[in-house]
Amino acid sequence: MTATLAAPPARTQAARRGRRRRHLGAWLWLAPALLLFALFKFVPMARAISMSFHEVRPYLGDRWVGLDNYRAVLGDDAFRAAAGHTIVLALGETIGSIVVGLALALLLEGTARHLWFVRTAVFLPTVTAMAVVAALWRIIYHPAPDGALNSVLGWIGLGPGQFLDSPHTSLWSVMAVGIWRGAPYDMMIFIAGLAGVDRTLYEAAAADGAGPLRRLWHVAFPAMRPVFGIVVTLAAIRGLRVFTEIYLLTNGGPNGSTEVVMTLVYKLGLERNELGIASAGSMLLLLATVVLTVVAQSLRRRA
Amino acid sequence: MRQLDTALGLGAVRGPLGRIIKIGLYALVVFVFAGPLLALLVSAFGRVTDPTKLSLIPHDLTLDNFRTAVDQGVLRYLANSLIVVGGGLLLQISVSVTAAYALARKSFPGVRLVLFLILSTMMLPEEILAIPLSLVLADVPVVHVNLVGTLAGMIVPVGAWAFAILVMTEFMRDVPIELEEAARLDGAGDLRIFWSVILPVCRPALGVLGIFGFTMIWDQYILPLLVAQDADQFTLALALRSLRADEQVGTGVLIASALLALLPSVVVFLALQRQFMRGLTSGAIKG
Amino acid sequence: MTGRGVLAMAVTAVVTAGCLVACGSDSPKTDPKAELQIWVRKPPGSSTEKTDQQLAAAFTAKTGVPAHVTALFDDFETKLQQAAAQKKLPDVVINDTDRLGGLVKQGLVRPVDRASLAGQADLTPASWQAATGADGKIYGVPFSAQSFALFIRKDWREKLGKPLPATWAEMDALATAFTTGDPDANGKPDTYGYVIPASTKRGYTSWYFASFLFSAGGDFLTGEPGKLTPAIDSPGSLAAAQEFQKQFCTDKSVVPGSVTAETTQAHPLFETGKGGIYLTGPYNMARFDKNLGKDKYEVVALPPGPGGKSVSLAEGENVYLMAGSANPSGQTRFAEYATSVEGQTLGMAGDTDGNVVRLPVNTKVDMATVRKDTRWQLFAGIYQNGARYAPVVPDWTPFRQASADTLNALVADCTSDPKAALGKLARTFTDELTKQGAGA
Repeated sequence: MTATLAAPPARTQAARRGRRRRHLGAWLWLAPALLLFALFKFVPMARAISMSFHEVRPYLGDRWVGLDNYRAVLGDDAFRAAAGHTIVLALGETIGSIVVGLALALLLEGTARHLWFVRTAVFLPTVTAMAVVAALWRIIYHPAPDGALNSVLGWIGLGPGQFLDSPHTSLWSVMAVGIWRGAPYDMMIFIAGLAGVDRTLYEAAAADGAGPLRRLWHVAFPAMRPVFGIVVTLAAIRGLRVFTEIYLLTNGGPNGSTEVVMTLVYKLGLERNELGIASAGSMLLLLATVVLTVVAQSLRRRA
Repeated sequence: MRQLDTALGLGAVRGPLGRIIKIGLYALVVFVFAGPLLALLVSAFGRVTDPTKLSLIPHDLTLDNFRTAVDQGVLRYLANSLIVVGGGLLLQISVSVTAAYALARKSFPGVRLVLFLILSTMMLPEEILAIPLSLVLADVPVVHVNLVGTLAGMIVPVGAWAFAILVMTEFMRDVPIELEEAARLDGAGDLRIFWSVILPVCRPALGVLGIFGFTMIWDQYILPLLVAQDADQFTLALALRSLRADEQVGTGVLIASALLALLPSVVVFLALQRQFMRGLTSGAIKG
Repeated sequence: MTGRGVLAMAVTAVVTAGCLVACGSDSPKTDPKAELQIWVRKPPGSSTEKTDQQLAAAFTAKTGVPAHVTALFDDFETKLQQAAAQKKLPDVVINDTDRLGGLVKQGLVRPVDRASLAGQADLTPASWQAATGADGKIYGVPFSAQSFALFIRKDWREKLGKPLPATWAEMDALATAFTTGDPDANGKPDTYGYVIPASTKRGYTSWYFASFLFSAGGDFLTGEPGKLTPAIDSPGSLAAAQEFQKQFCTDKSVVPGSVTAETTQAHPLFETGKGGIYLTGPYNMARFDKNLGKDKYEVVALPPGPGGKSVSLAEGENVYLMAGSANPSGQTRFAEYATSVEGQTLGMAGDTDGNVVRLPVNTKVDMATVRKDTRWQLFAGIYQNGARYAPVVPDWTPFRQASADTLNALVADCTSDPKAALGKLARTFTDELTKQGAGA
């Protein structure tokens, strides 16, 4: 476009050249990441988009089916309930892990020896294989009166609960597992964020007579705003595509009460080897996630 | 002013009541987050795992589960996992910090789009990308290399991880511009600024990256599945899933293997925790 | 016709033409000495994998055709899809009989010319039926069969002085006695009757329920292949569903946690003494002998239901000859060897837990000489006594999933009405039959 214009004055041209060189520099720094993303994420994503419009049959040739795959997913009775469960679960797990994670971070921040031990202990759920976490929680939730959690509830006069085995409590039970595993994750990011807060500001606040809570509110939290932003975004995305926990704990049951979009997609697509339908289902999820992210970003910018 | 080392200043809490409350809280979080896991892991030393109860004392003490796990080739899987996580983490951290540097410290047209594209890579579940990804792995576009059946196939694709890049970008944004400008006035170039100004200040974030990257690569499941040609190339995470579904192998063997899988993570966590805490360099933050 | 329709057709035509050309010229030159890639759905490192290795080695020794066995388990299907996408399918796959429809639909297997197969007449007719597609063609070679039986805690039953159940009412009474009678004498009400894998995963509920359904005189579908109609809302089916709901909701004689339990989570409930009655397959005997003790439990056929019969679900494994092989004659020879008396005997692996052939499909094999454990005879008897495979439709998976979802809902929500639920399921079946072109 600029090529058709008359030659601009020399000074702006030099400035533009300098800017262009700086821009080139930025792209060079980004190059390794973008290259790897392109090869191992974007190329497969493009193929997944194309699969969503086909009946995928490697040995017979893919068949163009237009929007049929999308209709198959949207037309399934369970879809709307699954979408609702997904939103509830994503919201609950995001808020829950952030609140618990932040509380843990504030409690366990510091350099004392014993804190090292406590932090390591708290972090264990995050580094344990999901297969084992699922086995563990099925034992904890065992719905007999002498089950692990029911025994504890019994001491304080509650229960016995059915947890995973009742359609009324299963979604909340799955959510609790998600928070239990997600909170230490968020805790780590918060601790790293707290480590970056300028200590002199604490001292200044203390000199002004501010107590710990006001210090937290007026000094630590504002400094951690960007960290909050990223944690919320990532946790929400994680929550929306939740799959493994549910697949291993309940597989969407009982009575479909924990069915989320991904477990449904798995059933309609992958378990039946209908890759086209599976792709269409996840494209819908992708679309919803993109819309939510864009809305959230623009809200954040306006605020 | 030691008591203001942390946001809540809990380190300064003195007096018997304060101490008791503090210790009580620590005990509570350890009980909630680690207690059940330890109780389960202990059952790896028992003959039969009770599917309904947790107990800190194994029932009928034995090492059979570990023996079976070793018979199933768990040690070989462990070795594979260690190689993959070593190479993968090195690559991932290098790629993340360089990308984050550009995204956080440079302004160029399209930066928002790039950020969004990177974010979008997290929005599609891996299960869906598995088959298309396997085609890429078998014949990488442009260079036409077949990564299937090589450990490199498990390492290279984890090099770019949106989570790591985005977290790092947020932390690098926080580094005050004055630090960079001062270095630039001293005649430092991009590389020097990156290496000796930005990176040292971001040490807590590097610790986060190390731990999360390790966990992410350690837990990789779909990728090794696609790359491995037979069980010789399995990683531990892959083997754990197989063990879980194996009708003839009891829960005890699964837990024994998981315990072995857990140890390296804990070691890495202990080693990298130091980075989280305010170290010598943190005095530099915000001048 | 709309513009988009035309475009779609054009695209289809191009894609199809492209494939016809590519796929046609793609077919590799055949080589009767090329190494056979054999994939088995067995856990890597397991004793069953070792048996498959031995089978392949014996085959190579006998025929001179090299063979390489790859064991994959949990993600067998993902790996197979990957191989298909790369057009590098293994030559032979040994997998469940009910995978046949999906493999045919995607064009991953080639038809088998039964008549030209050496020794084909020795294989049982029932097993051939399980290798037949909805179009009547044969797409696999039978390899192994199995049936299901009740595993009952013998020590518990004797302690409470109860007879072996001969009817469903006696079976339910025994389950109730196990729940209320403290058969393990620990003074706590922590034992139950039935162990049931009622999770919807892989359609487990439906799979478990099938034997009860058949024994009650019910069925999933009825009619000839291609002209099927739902039978899941028939009186017999309803009786089975009511029985199923009664065990969970009225008798409450099912181990808690069963509603979301998969098979791997159900086995420990039996072997650690939570529940005392478990309908499962012969492959669990080795495990329960080891973890529970052979003397503590007994294996009996499911008592006859309201239908007056005891009919077990039958299932098994086929040898599938995959598309695009470089060694079609080798594929056939492997199938012939695997189903021969020698191959079957090797696969049965005596009384060890390495058996890949559960019940032989070759009538010339004398089971009593291969296995001393007489409980296997019981399973063989149950199989021969009219055990039934899942109905032959182009793809069984949607039916299994839908029935698993319905049954799971029935026992998770005790207020739900079995008749209404089965009526709705029957309508789902009708839709699916129409979709697959298999309905009346």
